[in-house]
Formats: sequence, C-alpha cells, structure tokens
Amino acid sequence: MKVTIHIWDLPHRLFHWLLAASVTAAYVTAKIGGALIDWHGRIGIFILGLLVFRIIWGFIGSTHSRFSTFFPTFSRLAAYLKGRWQGIGHNPLGGLSVIALIATLAVQVGTGLFANDDIAFQGPLFDLIDKSFSDKLTGWHNTAFNFLLALVVLHLAAIIFYRWVKKTNLVVPMLTGKKNIPIALAEAVATNHDQRFGAVRFILSLIISSTVVWGVSGGVSQLYLAQSQQQIAQAPSSF
Amino acid sequence: MKKKLTLAILVAASANAAVAGPIEEQIRFRQSAYSFAAWNISKIKSQVVDHPETFNKDSVAAAANAIAAVANSGLGALYGEGTDKGVGWKETRLKPEFFQKKEEVTVAANTFNVAANELAKVAATGDVSAIKTQFGKVGESCKSCHDLIRIKE
Repeated sequence: MKVTIHIWDLPHRLFHWLLAASVTAAYVTAKIGGALIDWHGRIGIFILGLLVFRIIWGFIGSTHSRFSTFFPTFSRLAAYLKGRWQGIGHNPLGGLSVIALIATLAVQVGTGLFANDDIAFQGPLFDLIDKSFSDKLTGWHNTAFNFLLALVVLHLAAIIFYRWVKKTNLVVPMLTGKKNIPIALAEAVATNHDQRFGAVRFILSLIISSTVVWGVSGGVSQLYLAQSQQQIAQAPSSF
Repeated sequence: MKKKLTLAILVAASANAAVAGPIEEQIRFRQSAYSFAAWNISKIKSQVVDHPETFNKDSVAAAANAIAAVANSGLGALYGEGTDKGVGWKETRLKPEFFQKKEEVTVAANTFNVAANELAKVAATGDVSAIKTQFGKVGESCKSCHDLIRIKE
C-alpha cells in the first residue's frame, strides 16, 4: 500500500528550479564575458536573494524545508550509515549536500559582491574594500567555483544513482511536490509532518530577501558610493 | 677563436634584440599600460553602461582613443623572454605558457587591436548603443587573453 503525501512546498520547488537556472546562467555569462558580465552580476544578486529566502524558509517553511528536519547531525548521519534512518524528506547525506551547496553558494555570492574582473566589472560592493583585497576575493570566487561544480556533479550523480539503482525518481517530486511512500512509513513519520505552508510566513521571507537584494543592488550603495565614480567619469577633459 | 667570439657577439645581440629593456622594466611598463587602459575603460563603462545619463561624447571618444592607442603601441615588445617572472609595480601574473602559445596569443592580441580601433571609430559617432555593443566586444577580447595567459588570483 502506498500513499501520496505533499513533501516539497511550492516556494521550496520554485527556489530549487530558479536556483538551478540561475546558477547555469551565471556560469554561462561568466564564461562568455564581455557585456554579459553585467548579467553575471545581476544573476549573482538574484542568487543572493534566493539564498536568503532559502535560509529563512529553512526556519519558517513547511516541515521538509526546515533545517531542523534534515540537518545532518552526527547521530542522524550515524543512524543513516548503519541503515537505521527512517524518513521521507532529505536523508542525512542529502541534508549534508544541501548544507554544502548553500554554504558554497553563499561563499560565491559573498565574494562576488566584492569581486572585479580587471576589465570592466566590479561587484556592487567593490567600493567598500581596496582593490588588492577585491583581487583576493575574486581568487576565492574562482576557486570556490570548482568546489561548487563538484557538488553539482555529485548532486546530479545522486539523482541518476537513485533513478537507476534505487529505482526512485527524485525529479518528479521536486516538480509536483508530491511523493508516493509506503503507508507504514507515512504513519511512522506522521508526527514529524505537521508544519504546513504558511502564506504570511512566505510573504515575510519574500520581503526580507527582496530587501537584501535591493540593498546590495544599489539601494544602499547608490546613496553613498556612486558619487565618487561619477566624479571621476565627469572630470574635465580640457587637458 | 675569432669564430667563437663572433658567435658570442651574435648570441648576445639577438638576446638583446628580443628584450626591450630589463625584465622588471618591461613588466612595469606593461602593467602601466593596462592600468591606464583600465581607467579609460571605467570611464566608458560609467558613461555608456552604468549611468548613460552622464554620457559625454568627447570624454568617451577621448577614452576610446586612449584604449586604441594602448592597443596600437606594440605591447608585444614588453613580453620578452623571462618576463613571466618578476616584479614591476607588483608581481607579474603572466603564465609561463605564454612563450609556448605565441600563435594563440597573437590571435588574441590582434582581436583586441581590431576591437579597440573599432571602438574608437564608433565612439567618434557618439552613438551610445553602438558604443555599448562594441565596448562589450573589447571586454571579450580582454577576457580571451586573460583566460589564455594570465594567472588567476
């Protein structure tokens, strides 16, 4: 007997697919460069918004979006590796992968805000630090990308492994939000499945993440920083 | 003996012809050239891309001419043998592979030349959207060289 349960709420799924699309777009625009580097910057700020949203959602989202539900603690990891873990959301290894992805992306976004490409691009907060520190952060941005790439490959490999070896489709639930599980399992974890999606909490998360995006994408910096650049640009050209 | 001396002089002369001044000096000159270009690039970026309301035709044209002048100045002379190591204003980031990739470097350098000269031409017209497009192409040509021969931080 199987039963269909709601596992990934809509904001969670939107976050996931928007993140996948944004990271791909960020990679492509960075590789091509030229005028597209400005889009790389904009996409990066969007990813920052997604991450802030996800972190807040990790505390006030529905059950399986919450860090407390899937955070890979030692006891959970140990239980999982001994085959004694039982659950329906992210398993402890998956949870580890989620935390690693969020942390790596946070490093990417955090360094990107201050980075420069030595051509015609500076991150939106570049002016807050000096050039040599920005160069260093740009270096970290480049290095951390390799780590991100490895995590993405692992992520995709896990999906393929589940599909072909464990005969479990992970992609469909991430699209529909629904998952078929044995009724016994559903009953066993029913008590852990009580936090529903809340519209007010969703709007609150959206407001906070949008405010952060607004702040770094010019809201704050335009108030204090842009003047100096314009003064250089408009310096008299009579000599 | 005489033959050996001639040979020694020839070797020394050809080594001299390959380098335009001491290694540190070449590195310093080329770093200066690129940072002067960077100043001019930032002016165009600001007036054409970030704050088009501040666009000033003469200022942008002057900046584009300066970039073209750097591109046309024969920068290749500053990449003599041994200049992948050394300190100019700061440590050079030239990859040692530069000297094995001369053909690819020549292509990349020519792309920059053509793009920069075209930018100067387009800037003279004052057509902001055309300048913006060509400015992007110059940026791409910078990147292709950086990816090829510049050590990442």
